[in-house]
Amino acid sequence: MIAKKVLLVGNFGVGKTSLIRRFVLNEFSEDYISTIGVRVSKKVVEYNNDSIKLMIWDVAGTNGNEKIPKTYFLGAHAAMFVFDLSREETYLTIEENLNMVKDLSGLKEITIVGNKKDLLTAEELNNVLNVVSVDVDLVTSAKENDNVESAFMKLTAQTLK
Amino acid sequence: MIPAKININFIQITTDFSGIITSVDAGEFAKKEFFVTTTIFDTCPFLEGTLEGLIIAESVLLEGMVIVSDNVEYNVDIELLKNENSVEVLILNRTNVYKIVDQLNQNRNDLFFVKREIAEKNKELDRLRKIADKANEEKSRFLAMMSHEIRNPLNAILGYAEMIAAETLNKNVEKYIKHLSYSGKNLKVIVDDILDLSRIEAGKLVLVNEEMSIENIYQNCEDTYKNQQKNTDVKLVFSVDKEIPKTILGDSVRLHQILSNLIGNAIKFTQQGSVTISATPVLTSNKEYVNILFTVTDTGRGMSKEQAVKIFEEYQQNKISDNRVHGGAGLGLAIVNRLVTAMNGKINLESELNKGTSFFIEIPFKKIEDKKLKNIAVSKTECSIKNKRILVADDDLLNQTIVAHYLKKQQANSTIVSDGLEALEKIESEVFDVILLDINMPNMTGEELVTKNKSFLKFNSTTPILALTANATKEDIKRYKKAGFLDVISKPFTSKKFVEKICSVLFS
Repeated sequence: MIAKKVLLVGNFGVGKTSLIRRFVLNEFSEDYISTIGVRVSKKVVEYNNDSIKLMIWDVAGTNGNEKIPKTYFLGAHAAMFVFDLSREETYLTIEENLNMVKDLSGLKEITIVGNKKDLLTAEELNNVLNVVSVDVDLVTSAKENDNVESAFMKLTAQTLK
Repeated sequence: MIPAKININFIQITTDFSGIITSVDAGEFAKKEFFVTTTIFDTCPFLEGTLEGLIIAESVLLEGMVIVSDNVEYNVDIELLKNENSVEVLILNRTNVYKIVDQLNQNRNDLFFVKREIAEKNKELDRLRKIADKANEEKSRFLAMMSHEIRNPLNAILGYAEMIAAETLNKNVEKYIKHLSYSGKNLKVIVDDILDLSRIEAGKLVLVNEEMSIENIYQNCEDTYKNQQKNTDVKLVFSVDKEIPKTILGDSVRLHQILSNLIGNAIKFTQQGSVTISATPVLTSNKEYVNILFTVTDTGRGMSKEQAVKIFEEYQQNKISDNRVHGGAGLGLAIVNRLVTAMNGKINLESELNKGTSFFIEIPFKKIEDKKLKNIAVSKTECSIKNKRILVADDDLLNQTIVAHYLKKQQANSTIVSDGLEALEKIESEVFDVILLDINMPNMTGEELVTKNKSFLKFNSTTPILALTANATKEDIKRYKKAGFLDVISKPFTSKKFVEKICSVLFS
């Protein structure tokens, strides 16, 4: 079985841990407990008839342009940048933040996910997506288990490129 | 020899490139989890993938990783060093440090979210406040406009009532006309109150700071209310302490309004006994200011504590029947309260049901230096406009008749026209002593006419021009004066006020 190291990064409170919990354990909690350092979860996924073991790094959320330790990205195959669709400050400088992640990780492409879709109306969602200056790969809701699987499959596909 | 305290907080392991433990070299931390020939990835899953990325002879530090030993979670820092054939792994237990960092981090993030929530709520409050302000502004504008619309017909009602009252009448008609005048005057008070309140709410109330005499104001109140007061069972007592300076700086009109409201209420609700109105200086006065305490005490029906709490609210009347019996819209005390506040004063009351009520108002007034004192005239001189040539332009036939009647009574020579154009024709061909112009007239408004300077040159270059209008806000008056009017006679007016105003411009 191939093991692939993937990282979830983004501002604190955007729902990285919730996305992982939903994907790995199919659980969700409204409580917010900040992540300190790194927690690693494992999940085996089937992709194109191959079994892939994803080593999912839940990296502590940052505050704006705080740097993530470069060593976290050692041997990483893909990364997901998560932002909160309901919090402007998590996507206003997204381009700058993505470039920083690319520089640190050496990855050419980052999967971009807007989370907490459940907090917005369709119209509000459209407005946010118009404001975000980069192409968003998927909008998700960890709470309502919406698009979470697809987001991780997209990330898996990224590990194989 | 490594001390035991240190020994239990670290472990050093060597693995091959695939993570298989080849030796446990030193330390005791989580020793149970690491055995030779087993994989290090079971306890340190984060090393899977990471080991592949290591570069030979380059030390790497991974901070804040989590491992589990004996079902207990530990926060560890890990140092990795890749050699030619192996990887050295040093695991340091930093749980105690990370516990504090964790708490700080959680607090920081929680604070951020609370701050964000407050900011959002403030934004919402701000939005709601703006909506409320706008609605309030609309209301004030509507009230001001309606009040103006009411003033015109009210002028006709009061004017005709006054004219009829001057005729020889039978007893019944005399009684009816008295009621008509009384109701008309009540309506005027309500309209004035509404205008005042909307003006105060819109922040447009400007207090003047002129020389005034408390003694004069009290004398005026005494004259007015002693004349009006027909109930001989109620005694009116006015007193002004001799220590109060003869002249101070303040807004005499508004102070008169405050006192009139309180005295009027006290008389309304007192069937027997007395209404005492006094003014005394307060000890807190200083060199620059004198604080004056105005007290209005009655022996009337009084009120309960619950009623007293609400008494300064708008449209507040203690009994449903008050409006029917005593008139008014319940705005008087709300206005008094706001006026007192605007004067940096305080208002309080003490009341007991069936025993009476006392209102206490304390207002600071600026003192005037002795050398700057002017004599304030107490009495007004009588004047006559007999034989004065007076041009009146008003398109409202009812108002025309009232004005013509007032002028005829004064034996003035009046010329009445119906619009601005007719007035212009007269101004260009005759000399007048005073010109009275309505503002809203067909063909040419009063404001347009007053700016035609050339037309006045030949016969009326120095003739005073007065505006005759129901638009009587401070802003309106300022605008009219700027346009060329010398003063304004605001509708509704009584014959006395009308003549006084003409006299004031004729003989000033």
